[in-house]
Amino acid sequence: MTHQDDLALSRALQEARALGRRCALATVVSTKGSTPRKVGARLVVDPVAGLTGTVGGGCGEAEVIHAARQVLETGRPVRVRVDLTEDFTTWSPAVCGGTMDVFVEVVNPAPEASP
Amino acid sequence: MTSLDAGTAAALTLDAVARGAATACLLQVSEGKGAGRRLLLVVEAGGQSRLYGSLGGGEAEGAALKRAREALLDTGHPDGGLVSLDDGTELYLEIRRPVLDLVIVGAGHIARPMARTGADLGYRVWVLDDRPDFATRERFPDAHQVLRADFSDPFREVPIHAGTHILLVTRGHKYDYDCLVRVLRGDPLPAYIGMIGSRRRVRATFVQLLEDGIPRDRLGGIHAPVGLDIGAETPEEIAVAVAAELVKVRRGGTGASLRDLENVAERFFPQSEETV
Repeated sequence: MTHQDDLALSRALQEARALGRRCALATVVSTKGSTPRKVGARLVVDPVAGLTGTVGGGCGEAEVIHAARQVLETGRPVRVRVDLTEDFTTWSPAVCGGTMDVFVEVVNPAPEASP
Repeated sequence: MTSLDAGTAAALTLDAVARGAATACLLQVSEGKGAGRRLLLVVEAGGQSRLYGSLGGGEAEGAALKRAREALLDTGHPDGGLVSLDDGTELYLEIRRPVLDLVIVGAGHIARPMARTGADLGYRVWVLDDRPDFATRERFPDAHQVLRADFSDPFREVPIHAGTHILLVTRGHKYDYDCLVRVLRGDPLPAYIGMIGSRRRVRATFVQLLEDGIPRDRLGGIHAPVGLDIGAETPEEIAVAVAAELVKVRRGGTGASLRDLENVAERFFPQSEETV
C-alpha cells in the first residue's frame, strides 16, 4: 500500500461516512504462496459508490465482495480464506498458486451523519 | 476506551504520517469475542505517543502493544502482518512510517514525468526551481508543493528527514553542486540523493566535494549518474529509470530482469541433446 492508496481509501471511507452510508472494508492479513496482492492490500465495498482499492481482482475478489455484502447485513466481521491454487489448465483465473486470508469488517457512518 | 472504527483510524493515521509521526495499528482478526477491535498507537517524531481505541484491555493488550512498539523501532519490519498472542488471539499489525517525500530540484524536462511517476508511486512530491515560469502548478498538477526557491538556500521550506528523497536535475551543474553540498552537510541525511550527470561530470563533482571537505564515505551514498541502466534517453524514460531506482532503494532487489534471475525456461525445461 502506498501513501496514495491510503489517501484514496481514507477518502472513500470518509465520504461514505459523511453521507451516512455503511460500507465494508476488506484487508489482506496473511498470504501463502503466490498471490496477486500482498498483506495490507485493501478494498472498500460501498453499496452506492462501488469499489475502491483491490485485493487482487478476479474471482478471489468476487468472494471477498460476497463476504462484504454479508458483513454489511450482519454487522459482524468475518475472516475469509481465498484459495487461488486451481490448476492452470482449468483456465480459472485463480491460478496464482497461493491462498490469502482477508478480514472483512463493517465501517459505520459517523453518528451525526444523516442517511 | 471506546472502539475505534476503520474510517477514524485511517484518518488519524494519514494526519499522523503527514506530520512526521509513525503509527502502529492492531486489529483483532481472530473470529469470536473481540473480533474487529482496534488499537492505534501514534508515535510522534519527538517520541511522545498516544493511544486510540482498545483491544479490551488486560495482559493481552499490554503484550500486543509491546509488539507494536518493537515493530515501530525495527525499520526493516514489514508494513503489515499477523501477530499471535499467548492466549490464541490473532491480531493484524499494520505499520505506517512518516510520509515519503520526493524533492525534485529543477523544474525542467525530466521533472515533469518524474513528478507524475513519483506521485503514482506514493511519494509526496515537491518541485523547486528559481525560474517562476517553470515552477508552476500548471506544469506540475500532481505535486504536493511547487516552490520558487533560490538555489543558494533551496531547502528552506522543504523538510529533509530520513524519509526524504532528493533528485537534483537543475539546469546547471553549478546549481546541482550547491544543492548537493548543502544536503551532504545537513543533518539528518535524506534516504536518497540522486544527481543527473555523465560519469565525467560526476567525477568532477566528487573531486570538488572532497576539496570542499566532504568525507569520502559520503560519496558512495550519492546516486550519480542517476537511475537504473535501462538505456533511457527521453525525459520520460529517464523518469522511469530513476523511479525504478527509488523503488529498489526502498524495497531492495537487484534491478536485473526477473527473467534472467529466475531462468524458468533453462531451469525447468532443459534442451535435450537432440534438439540443440
